[in-house]
Amino acid sequence: MEISPDAWVLYEWMGLRLNATILFTWVVMALLVLGSWAITARLSEAEAVSRWQALLEVIVTAIRDQIAEVGGGEAGRYLPFIGTLFLFIATANILALVPGFQPPTGSLSTTAALAICVLIAVPLFSIGERGIGGYLRAYLRPTPLMLPFNIVGEISRTIALAVRLYGNVMSGTVIVGILISVAPFFFPVLMQLLGLLTGLIQAYIFAILAMVYIGSASRNRSAPDGAAAPQETAGTGN
Amino acid sequence: MQIDWLTVVAQIVNFLVLVWLLQRFLYRPIIRAMARREERIATRLAEAQAAREAAEADADRVREQQEALEARREEMLGEARREVAALRARLEADIEAEIEAKRRTWNAHLQDEREAFTARLRQRAGHQVIDIVGRVLRDYAGSDLGGQLAATFADRLAALDAGERDKLKRAAERAEGPARLDSGIALKPGTRSRITRAIHECVGREIEVAYHEDDALILGIRLTIGEQTVEWSAARFLHRLETTLDEVIEGGGRHRPSPAPATG
Repeated sequence: MEISPDAWVLYEWMGLRLNATILFTWVVMALLVLGSWAITARLSEAEAVSRWQALLEVIVTAIRDQIAEVGGGEAGRYLPFIGTLFLFIATANILALVPGFQPPTGSLSTTAALAICVLIAVPLFSIGERGIGGYLRAYLRPTPLMLPFNIVGEISRTIALAVRLYGNVMSGTVIVGILISVAPFFFPVLMQLLGLLTGLIQAYIFAILAMVYIGSASRNRSAPDGAAAPQETAGTGN
Repeated sequence: MQIDWLTVVAQIVNFLVLVWLLQRFLYRPIIRAMARREERIATRLAEAQAAREAAEADADRVREQQEALEARREEMLGEARREVAALRARLEADIEAEIEAKRRTWNAHLQDEREAFTARLRQRAGHQVIDIVGRVLRDYAGSDLGGQLAATFADRLAALDAGERDKLKRAAERAEGPARLDSGIALKPGTRSRITRAIHECVGREIEVAYHEDDALILGIRLTIGEQTVEWSAARFLHRLETTLDEVIEGGGRHRPSPAPATG
């Protein structure tokens, strides 16, 4: 039984393998981009809008409000990054319902890639906000003795983010596979429903945690000590 | 649990491409559309507010103009009323003055006519009385009226008291011209001589007498010597008749002062 879609190689050329993870990622991307393009090509700026536009506006507004609620400040800067994280993971997890679709989020490679993106984005946003000196000084707080712990915390946080998403998505797929072999009719349906819920929750948690990391790193200027600590503990919940 | 680092790199690239594409096709257009819509709504609200304020300002202005017009109309009406009242008062005063003038003129005419009528009546009545008296005297006493008149005058002259005779004598001495004797009727020469004799006996021998006729006396004789006058005539009776006629004409109203008979 295949655990990761990485192992499902569809095409190989000169050592470059096109596996199922990349293929289904492209499917998700195509779906998102084409859907957005199809709707935003006929955007209405008047009071009357189409229901698809209204749906997109609701989604974008909700994401923006969540970002403003968690990170505070200017939501527009983080919207493309955080919003794309959420939309990509959520779409991939929902599409897991489609028979034959292997969600790319079930691959540790994908979740690691997303976590690495967050790992890189946090200092980038923080430097953009406070300058490189301000960002580096945050590692020496509250005392320079904490420098190694801060570095370890940064790395472990990224690993935890990646493994959490991977584990949840992959486990759902694996459990469904096992249950189909044991009780083929009833349980898989329930587990699929559960997987749908879990997938959406995971998308939400991943995006929110990323925002929390970015926000805590960027906000240290106004709250120099201890502001990040309670938000980091939120990441241990799942 | 294995990580294919090539796939990791590919997924990172995929994710960044997806971020760019979604920013291009999703977030930016949607946010721009929402911002423009909000801007439009805000603009229209502001326009509506401005239009409303303009309409309120217009309404205020129109109301003020209306009030001003109303006030002006009231003012003009009041002015017109005052003018009408003044004109009416003036016209009434004019009419009253005109009526008063006409009334005065009419009264004057009436007065003149009455006086003329009275004078005519007095004359005619006097002459009629004289005629009647003369005819009666001629028929029954065999004498003419002039003779009777002269006899009466002579009697009255003779009946004057001493003081009045002295006055006449002193007047005759001061007088330069002759004594004047007026009679209402023509006197015959015999009658004139009787009267002259009576005057000579009572006043003085040297007095000359000039005879004149005066219709106003009607029936009677008036002797004028200097500033002194002795008169006996039918005038007092005619004055009494005139007074009675006045009373009859005016219905017991106004009385004309009747001229008193002279001494004699």
